[in-house]
Amino acid sequence: MKNIVIGRFVPGKGFLYRMDPRTKIIALVFLMASAFIIRDFTTMFVAVGLLVALLFVGRINIIRVFSGLRPLMYLLAFTFIFQLLFNTQGDLVASWELHYSPLNILAVTMLVVTWFFVRRRLPFKFFFFIATFVGVIALFATLRLGPAFATGTLNIHQNAIETGFFIVMRLLVIVTLSTILTLTTKPTDLNLGLESVMSPLKVFRIRTEEMAMIISISLRYIPTLLDEANKIMLAQASRGVDFSEGKFKDKIMQIVSLLVPMFIISFKRSDELANAMEARSFVPGQPRTRLHQLTWGFADTVALVVSLLVLTAVITSRVVM
Amino acid sequence: MAIKFNRVDFKYKGEGKKGYLALSNISLSIQGEGEFITLIGETGSGKTTLVQHMNALLVADSGSVDIYGIKVEKEAVKKKKIRLNPIRKKVGLVFQFPEYQLFEETVLKDITFGPKNFGVPEKDAVETAKSVIKIVGLDESYLERSPFNLSGGEKKRVSIAGILAMEPDILILDEPTSGLDPLGRNALLKVFFDIHQKLNKTVIIITHDMNTVYEYAKRVLVMRDSYLVYDGDPVNLFTSKNIENWNLDVPDVLDLTNKLERDLGISLKTRPRSASDLTKALEEVLR
Amino acid sequence: MRIIDIENLSFHYRAGTPVLEDITLHVDKGEWITILGHNGSGKSTLSKLLVGLLRAKKGTIKVGGLELSENTVYDIRKKIGIVFQNPDNQFVGVTVRDDIAFGLENLQIPRDTMIERIEQYARKVDMADYLNKEPHNLSGGQKQRVAIAGILAMETDIIIFDEATSMLDPKGRNTILSMMKQLNDEGVTVINITHDMKESLYGDRIVVLKNGKIIKDDKTDAVLKDQEILEKSNLEMLLPLRVLRLLESENVKDEKVRSYLWQLSLTG
Repeated sequence: MKNIVIGRFVPGKGFLYRMDPRTKIIALVFLMASAFIIRDFTTMFVAVGLLVALLFVGRINIIRVFSGLRPLMYLLAFTFIFQLLFNTQGDLVASWELHYSPLNILAVTMLVVTWFFVRRRLPFKFFFFIATFVGVIALFATLRLGPAFATGTLNIHQNAIETGFFIVMRLLVIVTLSTILTLTTKPTDLNLGLESVMSPLKVFRIRTEEMAMIISISLRYIPTLLDEANKIMLAQASRGVDFSEGKFKDKIMQIVSLLVPMFIISFKRSDELANAMEARSFVPGQPRTRLHQLTWGFADTVALVVSLLVLTAVITSRVVM
Repeated sequence: MAIKFNRVDFKYKGEGKKGYLALSNISLSIQGEGEFITLIGETGSGKTTLVQHMNALLVADSGSVDIYGIKVEKEAVKKKKIRLNPIRKKVGLVFQFPEYQLFEETVLKDITFGPKNFGVPEKDAVETAKSVIKIVGLDESYLERSPFNLSGGEKKRVSIAGILAMEPDILILDEPTSGLDPLGRNALLKVFFDIHQKLNKTVIIITHDMNTVYEYAKRVLVMRDSYLVYDGDPVNLFTSKNIENWNLDVPDVLDLTNKLERDLGISLKTRPRSASDLTKALEEVLR
Repeated sequence: MRIIDIENLSFHYRAGTPVLEDITLHVDKGEWITILGHNGSGKSTLSKLLVGLLRAKKGTIKVGGLELSENTVYDIRKKIGIVFQNPDNQFVGVTVRDDIAFGLENLQIPRDTMIERIEQYARKVDMADYLNKEPHNLSGGQKQRVAIAGILAMETDIIIFDEATSMLDPKGRNTILSMMKQLNDEGVTVINITHDMKESLYGDRIVVLKNGKIIKDDKTDAVLKDQEILEKSNLEMLLPLRVLRLLESENVKDEKVRSYLWQLSLTG
């Protein structure tokens, strides 16, 4: 509980770690924009190739990137399936006739039930989920058990595949890029970088320093507050609160018994912290010098130029094609 | 034996493979009545972790903890084969800061919260609340007040009442007197001692105050770097050479007794453990 | 030389329930004074008034000849630092280094000087090996030492310890007390706010607060001898004095024991 770090920075070596956070943030924006602009398969494959190359050259732990993608898998799968089923533009690529007969439905139900009970014990849950889904369609399309009371057709159009593919790839690229940023940048540096990158917003009277201070204090207190929440849960568990069980009415009481102490302690904490900060001459809005300074290196210039080139190349390729 | 630890290890999981080792090879037994135990040791030595095993808030990684005949083990808890609430009703644990548990609008509601979770009917819980509020040295007028408008000492008493209302056999208090001034501390210690003596409950107190240990404890547990290094009576503890290695202070009464014996050549007939004992012992010698 | 002058200071949160009443107190440069008081005696309120975290309802505060007002409060905060009770609620930085830097950043100290001072004062409080550590990996005593370093780095003349040892274990408390002693020897004015009579033994002077009023302000040994005041203060007398009084009430008169206990109750 004490070691939860927001952003999941993982110490490592690679050149990405040595880069200025500002470079990484700006490059991330450029590359994300590129991912949105790409509209043809070749460029997308090249882009994904470059991304994989970046992971290798930057010595990023691929497993960590994948584990970051895992929660996204179902969303991606649903997006893709949704496109397949409901996007009816473009040429017809494939068409199946689906037979809804009582026996077919029974077979499908058996498949789903088997999946439901087996899934907890399986590795690669996601792939089994997809396999089951495909299996359901395949059973309806191929089995002809008994008389069908209704039939349907499943048509798959070219645009469905294309749009689905690009949505999925873009999301994958964007999430991977952000994961690279947070994996290789300490939260404090990220904060410093963000503050610096956003500083032009001062023109619009947005107080970027104060936002940075707020983020910095949040980073400092998140582990403390999580620890506190855990202690409160234990304290209430000592009084017979079972957070894993209970009816809806009990659930509300359980949450209240956790939230009220949490709020009261946090208010007291922030009051004391404000006093401590003021006593040490902190005045909101006043200029401060900074211990941490960002240093721009040659590698940063190169990285920025490269990411800008990628963006330009992508834009040109779209204009030309 | 109400609680029995058998070679218990516990590690807090953390980033990296190491984690934080909090308990190593702990074996000890605690009786369900009549004990007055103090648990001492430096910050981070594992005191709080140890007591959180006593009411199954934490479960040992290896070894076992028997609480009232129920073997609390990792697998069994995970698969929900054992019910933990009956354990928590028998072994009441008061956390260090009353702010961790107070949340209701009135003191009465807060005190009855525990008993009601354990299925005690509202009416009985209210009766219990009326009696426990007196045990902790407050009167019934407090029951209708908001727990948040009380002084630090009063909040602490209410939080203790909230646990006492569950009618546990064993009462564990995690640093109950920290932050209180001497008068507040002494008054509260008297409450604990009364609970121990009049209600014949086992009381376990985590403390940094060696005077409390020396004056009240029948038995002392010393934790150091996740190990239980001492389990015995306070007099032997403080006369042994280990207290320096374990960063423990000498209790004032013992310190003064030693000085009197060394500098004035007085030899007392008893080993006084409180100011009044010391006075009586001196009286005997001087008269 | 006077460094703090408090004249007729009063404060209340709600009219009719005074927290501090008519406090007059003078502190000399380099002094170590102990402010003793029971919980709720107003001792922490006094420290907040001193650095302008609260505003007095009546009376004046002067620090180094400068009268505390809205215009001078920032200059006064450069002269006084406070170590608060809860180690966790005053640790602003994400790491030890950042926390020591916090005050310096506020004072707009140039970065090079900042780096020097951080090293220097971290060494002074024996935390130089922990500069990159995060607060949740430190003990309470270590966090308090970082707080001290943060104040020392701002090069203030006065440090208030507002019950700074009350949440620490014996080892932590002892290191903070010996640190107070070392700093005072080097010329820092120390104000230690506590309810522990033992801590007052180290200081030059004791101010006893009760229900918002100063009931005694005198040299340490003079206060420790004043049984009537100690009785009234709602605090616990040191053990030798308690035993002495108990013996007296039992009519045991042994001159040797009496004078020995008397002497111990002044030196601990």
